[in-house]
Amino acid sequence: MWQVESMRGAKMLTPRRRGIEVAVAGPATVVRFLSVARRATATFAAKPGTETSPDIDVEEKLKKAFERGWSVLVWNDPVNLMDYVVYVFKTVLKMNEKDASRHMWEVHQQGKSVVARETREKSEMIVHRLRGFGLNATLEQA
Amino acid sequence: MTSEQIAPGQWRLSFTRPEAGFLINALARLGKHYQEDVARMPPMLRAYWEGTISLDEVEDMEESREVLAEARAELRSERLTLVENWMREFELAEERNPWKVEISSAERDEFIAMLNDRRMLLALELGIAEADMEADPREIADEARRASILEIDVLGHFILVMLGRQIHRP
Repeated sequence: MWQVESMRGAKMLTPRRRGIEVAVAGPATVVRFLSVARRATATFAAKPGTETSPDIDVEEKLKKAFERGWSVLVWNDPVNLMDYVVYVFKTVLKMNEKDASRHMWEVHQQGKSVVARETREKSEMIVHRLRGFGLNATLEQA
Repeated sequence: MTSEQIAPGQWRLSFTRPEAGFLINALARLGKHYQEDVARMPPMLRAYWEGTISLDEVEDMEESREVLAEARAELRSERLTLVENWMREFELAEERNPWKVEISSAERDEFIAMLNDRRMLLALELGIAEADMEADPREIADEARRASILEIDVLGHFILVMLGRQIHRP
């Protein structure tokens, strides 16, 4: 029918963190992150009298970026249809039917469900996508 | 309304004249909403569009909030384009009873999400709760509320037809 190029794929729902693009974890991400980290190191080094240790800072940032210590929660609401929620879990989180149904029932009966545990960047991306489908999703530090 | 898969990744939706009229009316209102300034919306709608990234107070969350709000604004703009495309398709259709539309799986996903937006917005606007959704719409005295719940139900029916699904129980 019609084409809306900008609607394709996950582009529109991918969070864009200023300065660091870490939407997809992988070697390219590491290179980008290190590039930013190096710039940060140079900045620190250029300031005389700065007591911050850039090496520790970079290591901590790298460690944090790859920690899967962030949970994505989906909260119950009165309007989203059960079948729709299952469909969204399958579409966004690539869950199979059984897992998607189990999480949907958990949301319905317990008010919320942890549907993913990922790095912060990936968790944010998932929250954006779930919200794009109208689900009430948030993230929390596990 | 019917939905059939005509090829891998390709779907044909068919609407009777009343269904098409209902849909276009809902899309017109949705399109108008997408154009509204979020800052001037009632608090519940503003919260829906600005989004909440986390209920916890965690480090560096301000930037994440801004990124989410920007993504949500972009989403509204993208969906407005989509609404306009659907309206144009309807205007140009030679046959409207039934009105048949062929779309890809990606377009179908966007259409479903867009219809769900309308359902969510109606519910937020009127503060519709679980009890309202379980009540018989004919027994709801307030006319605006009754009309909104009926629209939520009909759009929900359209979504379920497209998903071709039944309730799954564990």
